[in-house]
Amino acid sequence: MILHDWVLSPNCYKVRLMAALSGQDLTLRAVNLYPEREHLSDEYLALNPAGTLPILEDGDLVLGESAAILAWLGEGWLGQGKAEAARVQAWLSFAERLNATAGRARNIDMLGVPGSLSEAQKGGRACLRELELALSDRRMEGGTFLVGDGPTIADIACFPHVMLAPDGGLTLAPYPSIRLWTRAVRALPGFVEMPGIHRLHELSPEPEMETELR
Amino acid sequence: MTDPSRWHPAALSQDLVPATVIPARCGPHEIALWRSETGALRAWQDRCPHRGMRLSHGFVRGEMLSCIYHGWRYDGEAVCRKIPAHPALEPPSSITVPRFRVAEAGGVIWIASDPGNSAPPEMAEGLRPLRSVPVDRSAAGLRDALGHDVPARLEDGLCVLVQEIDETRSVLHALTSGNVEPKIASRRLESLRRRFEKEPAA
Repeated sequence: MILHDWVLSPNCYKVRLMAALSGQDLTLRAVNLYPEREHLSDEYLALNPAGTLPILEDGDLVLGESAAILAWLGEGWLGQGKAEAARVQAWLSFAERLNATAGRARNIDMLGVPGSLSEAQKGGRACLRELELALSDRRMEGGTFLVGDGPTIADIACFPHVMLAPDGGLTLAPYPSIRLWTRAVRALPGFVEMPGIHRLHELSPEPEMETELR
Repeated sequence: MTDPSRWHPAALSQDLVPATVIPARCGPHEIALWRSETGALRAWQDRCPHRGMRLSHGFVRGEMLSCIYHGWRYDGEAVCRKIPAHPALEPPSSITVPRFRVAEAGGVIWIASDPGNSAPPEMAEGLRPLRSVPVDRSAAGLRDALGHDVPARLEDGLCVLVQEIDETRSVLHALTSGNVEPKIASRRLESLRRRFEKEPAA
């Protein structure tokens, strides 16, 4: 499988994360999205007319939407039974709202994309409050992840935008249930990082710095 | 009215699990609030004395807090015990982080900036911690609306502690009394916040 990738994109990262957590190998093709805007070249628009990243190629299958790619990679991560699967779909739509608000604030603040930062932040904050309420409900039920007993593609779809929200000037400090959920995602076996989203260092042993420098 | 230089409600105990650090506040002070693996609670200035990085971005291993930036590691007394870039060096004991008083009672974590020996406000027994929510409204405005009891008791079994963040922002730490169902209480808290954020600031 080939992933046409941009390392700083939360939507590309969610594909890399899903593949890592489920033990699937990806061949990464780094696309010069910034500053060259290579994803809008004739070659890339021929592959994905939407002009977006990520793009996954698996044989004849070409997918250009991260939610669809998560569904393709996430066998066993789709929720159990109809009700859970439907709830997972709701969170995939929510992830699009996060992308259009918190993600947009990050693009404006970090990349200088034109737009109203305060409007994007306002929408992002409303999304974070909504997520905090839902995750607080889940804790009251004894749950940790968004849907059901274990992690699903719903968590993977929402996690990157939430973790990167501070890049767009949105603080995560006031959301205790979100904080605990992001820790649970980062504690999953096989978790991988991206710039701005680091692993839980406390889960690995103290590095022995006394060893000789090589 | 409680002396604002003394105890501030900072978080609910359930939101600070063992071996974690979180950002918190004590009045105007930014705090790294952390719990060791065995449960010991500490509140320090949120600033590593090395390069000024927020210690709340750091991590807890065992009974020590490490800075995320260069790994300087501090023991429970806030004394630096390890500088990973100089593994053979025993750090001078003068490298310390300013400490705040911290206390935990009834499922609420309180922080005080003064060095006295006062105890945090006593609260009625039988209150169950619910959740903490940020509110875009001054603490003074909230206290005017809710009254000055600690905690303020509302209808429907909801009780709230008001924490000041700055002139326009606060946090409500909510608890419940009686048999109110937590998810229902959580929605009442959300409607209370909507009401406060709609009303013009006092």
